[in-house]
Amino acid sequence: MRNSLGALLAIGLAGLQFLAVLAVVFSSYVTSESALLSHARDLLRDVGNNTIEHSRGFLRPARGAAELSARLAQNDVIASDNPVLLEKLIFQQLQLAPQFAGVFHGNEEGEFVYVMRTDDGPAPFRSKIIRVDGGVRTTELIWRNDDYSVVERRMDPEDTYDPRTRPWYQRARQELTTIWTDPYIFFSSQQPGITLASPVLSGPGSVRGIVGVDIEISDISDFLGRLRIGSTGKALIIHQNGDVIAHPEKDLLKTEAADGTLRFTNIRSFGDPIAQAAFSDLVRDGSEPADSAQLGQFEYRGETYVSVVMPEVSETLPWTFAAYAPESDFTAVIKHNRLINIWIAAMVAMITGICGLMLANYIHKPVRAFAVRSALISQGELDPSEPLPKTYQELERANTTLMQQIAARKETESEYGQTFALSSRGMVQIEPETGRFLRVNAKFCEMTGYSEEELKQMALADLVHPDDKPFLSWDGVSGEEPIEINHEMRCRCKDGGTIWIAVNGIFVHNQEGRVLHAVFTMDDITLNKRKEEQIAQLSRDLSNLSRDNTMGQMAAGLAHELNQPLTAIAQNADTALLTVKQAPEQHDDELREILEEIEAQSLRAGDIIRALRAFIRKDEGIRSAFDFAELVDQTKRLIIAEAHVVGARIETEIETLRPVMANRVQVAQVLVNLLRNALEALSETGDGPKVVTVSARQHGAEVLVCVTDTGPGVDPSIKLFSEFETTKTSGMGLGLSICRSMVEANGGQLWHEEATGPGARFCFTLNAVADA
Amino acid sequence: MPDVANVVFIVDDDQDIRTSLSRALRKRGFEVETFGSAREFLYAYDNAQVGCLVLDYGMPEMSGLELQQRLNEAGAPLELVFITGHGGVPESVQAIKSGAVNFLEKPFRQSDLVKNIQTALSLAGEKYERLQTHRQIRERFERLTAREEEIVAHMIARPAEVSSKEIANHLGISPRTVDHHRARILEKLEVNSVVELIDLASRLKDAV
Repeated sequence: MRNSLGALLAIGLAGLQFLAVLAVVFSSYVTSESALLSHARDLLRDVGNNTIEHSRGFLRPARGAAELSARLAQNDVIASDNPVLLEKLIFQQLQLAPQFAGVFHGNEEGEFVYVMRTDDGPAPFRSKIIRVDGGVRTTELIWRNDDYSVVERRMDPEDTYDPRTRPWYQRARQELTTIWTDPYIFFSSQQPGITLASPVLSGPGSVRGIVGVDIEISDISDFLGRLRIGSTGKALIIHQNGDVIAHPEKDLLKTEAADGTLRFTNIRSFGDPIAQAAFSDLVRDGSEPADSAQLGQFEYRGETYVSVVMPEVSETLPWTFAAYAPESDFTAVIKHNRLINIWIAAMVAMITGICGLMLANYIHKPVRAFAVRSALISQGELDPSEPLPKTYQELERANTTLMQQIAARKETESEYGQTFALSSRGMVQIEPETGRFLRVNAKFCEMTGYSEEELKQMALADLVHPDDKPFLSWDGVSGEEPIEINHEMRCRCKDGGTIWIAVNGIFVHNQEGRVLHAVFTMDDITLNKRKEEQIAQLSRDLSNLSRDNTMGQMAAGLAHELNQPLTAIAQNADTALLTVKQAPEQHDDELREILEEIEAQSLRAGDIIRALRAFIRKDEGIRSAFDFAELVDQTKRLIIAEAHVVGARIETEIETLRPVMANRVQVAQVLVNLLRNALEALSETGDGPKVVTVSARQHGAEVLVCVTDTGPGVDPSIKLFSEFETTKTSGMGLGLSICRSMVEANGGQLWHEEATGPGARFCFTLNAVADA
Repeated sequence: MPDVANVVFIVDDDQDIRTSLSRALRKRGFEVETFGSAREFLYAYDNAQVGCLVLDYGMPEMSGLELQQRLNEAGAPLELVFITGHGGVPESVQAIKSGAVNFLEKPFRQSDLVKNIQTALSLAGEKYERLQTHRQIRERFERLTAREEEIVAHMIARPAEVSSKEIANHLGISPRTVDHHRARILEKLEVNSVVELIDLASRLKDAV
């Protein structure tokens, strides 16, 4: 978050800055470049125009001189047949224009006067005069100074030059007008030049001679060389036939032909490769030259060049001026400038970026502090009530909201956590996929004996008693789990002991129906289970006892009942015997024996009964100390179903008691019998409350127990506690009798108490354990 | 008051037993009275007749043991012989602890019963004598006034401080008055000295 904001600001600011500068740079560059290039083209065109003008200016005097000379000769102003005068005239003409290399005159006879400038002779001017006199031909060479004085004069007998064979002569004679030759390399000076020839007419259609002017055009090359076209641009002049006739590098113009003569280099094989590449097409396509300046642009070896091709100089001079210059000559500076500007832009961007980072840092500082603070608060390491350091208004508002939310959440969490942790019931939170414990409370730890850390490494299935099947299996998240479960589970504790746990829980689902977790309450019901087991055992014992006891009681009852008549018999027999003894006059031995036997037999019968009783008594069980209140509770639960049938309520009023010392099962039997009697009595009553109250209180060394009902009470005519006497249609009349004998067997007494109100009350006592 | 006690009370809820026993005992010269229940007996008995009580141990309502308890408390000049059809060791032990002469299980030999009755009657006679003496002594003590009783009580409690002065200091009265009282006391109790007085008092206490 922090990085992103900083980086965003830095990159954003720097990028924007960079782009802006770049845009300015490139816009300015493009504008400048276009202006410069436009300027370059103008420059090139101007150069072209200048050059053309220069060339015209350069050549114009020659035409004047030649035509003047021809006219003078034609009009016989000078005798064209007088070589001396002609020489002088030509000399004067030559001096007129420095660009003239030579001026000459040839006639039909083959005579020839030629004055030329020379560098290698003894004087700057040389005249060559060929005379034909009567078929004899002489050639005189004269070297003169500027002032026409002769420096040297000699004859040249080997000269074979005939002007009439020369192309300029023939062409001028044929066309009868002034003509320009194509440029060529002068034989004598080996310099490029051009010859202008003008015919001297003797009459219509007849030619007397030809006047010619040689003009060295290397000066044009020099002129081109002096031109500044950019820094490295070059200009050249191409003749109609493709010959390059002017170029700053004059050496490139000449090339040696196969016959050893020198001639112009064609543009197609020109030594200036850039020019060759740029302008070869001018000749190749043979198209008509353009009327106006053609501005162009071309690439050569990765460099861009601008070029210009001018229209031909004139009809008589079919020359084309062409120039080229690398674009960089004009744009290098701005390109350099552009590079510098880009660097400047980069630097500005960098500085802006740093500024942006710092700014972001500055802006972000309170945000970061806020974030850190929020994190600390959420981890509970900082109290939300701590004052917020100085920060933005927006953050303050956010903080307020956040604090409220945190407070609310903490409260909820704390409530849930406290409910969970402090619950008096065991509570666990379980991961649904694996059944692992996510959270357990102290009570559950106490129940199982495992520590919280140990339990968190375990799953619910680990606790299930190994003999039992796991009652819940999580086989993936199918959404088929029950919403809630209620189950009793046998659990193996850490110490190896077994407890029973009632598991009640709910599965918490999210909106897609996936189970998020399960929350269970775990209640230790071991005691309840044990109690249930005890009650079941008591019930079994009671039914056994009841059966045994009824037998025993029958025997005991019979014994008692029989003992009474036996006693009477024995007493009567003895009394009779005494009577016999007191009356000796009626002494009868036989009678006495009979009476003695009667007594003996009745005593014997008593012995038999005593033996039988002793035998039954042996079975009377063992006394132990137990909690009477607990026994009452269990007995009540045994009999409660019967009470429901009758619609009666069983209440208990039991004070704090010392443990009683008795046979527990027998006491339970007594209670059951008394309660059943009471319920039977209540079943006979119509309306009114049906309540049986069992009360017990400590009475000295004994516990006094009373069972009171709200029934009709005991019919006074009934002899209670008599064996084999009953008001019931079914029964042997042994119930109360058995109860009494059992209570007495345990050292207590049982009696019927006349109740003050309606209903019956039976009470009995039990011995309490002596105070320690 | 007969010289020799000869009365036998029979308490048993069984009519046949009462009939046979009373016949047999009368035949042997005893005066016999029979009762069907403990309550019946208590209603009839005056707490003064010397005799032997033949008592059925297991009876409805008030049991033999309870009746024995009541009679002991009342100081009746009776000795008890229990007879029972439910005979058991714990019951007999309890009965004899409470002063019964014997505990006979039904059916029993008449000779055994007669032997026990004779023992009981003789014991009852002695008991009567003892009770009589005790009563006489108590009657003598009852003659004393409240002040005199106070002085006697002091003398019994502190046999070493019986001089008139000591008693007078203790009670906050003059020794002379004490001397006067002392003479009256000895006269009323029919003794000659304080030593005899203390002996008499101890006899009364023992009996109670």
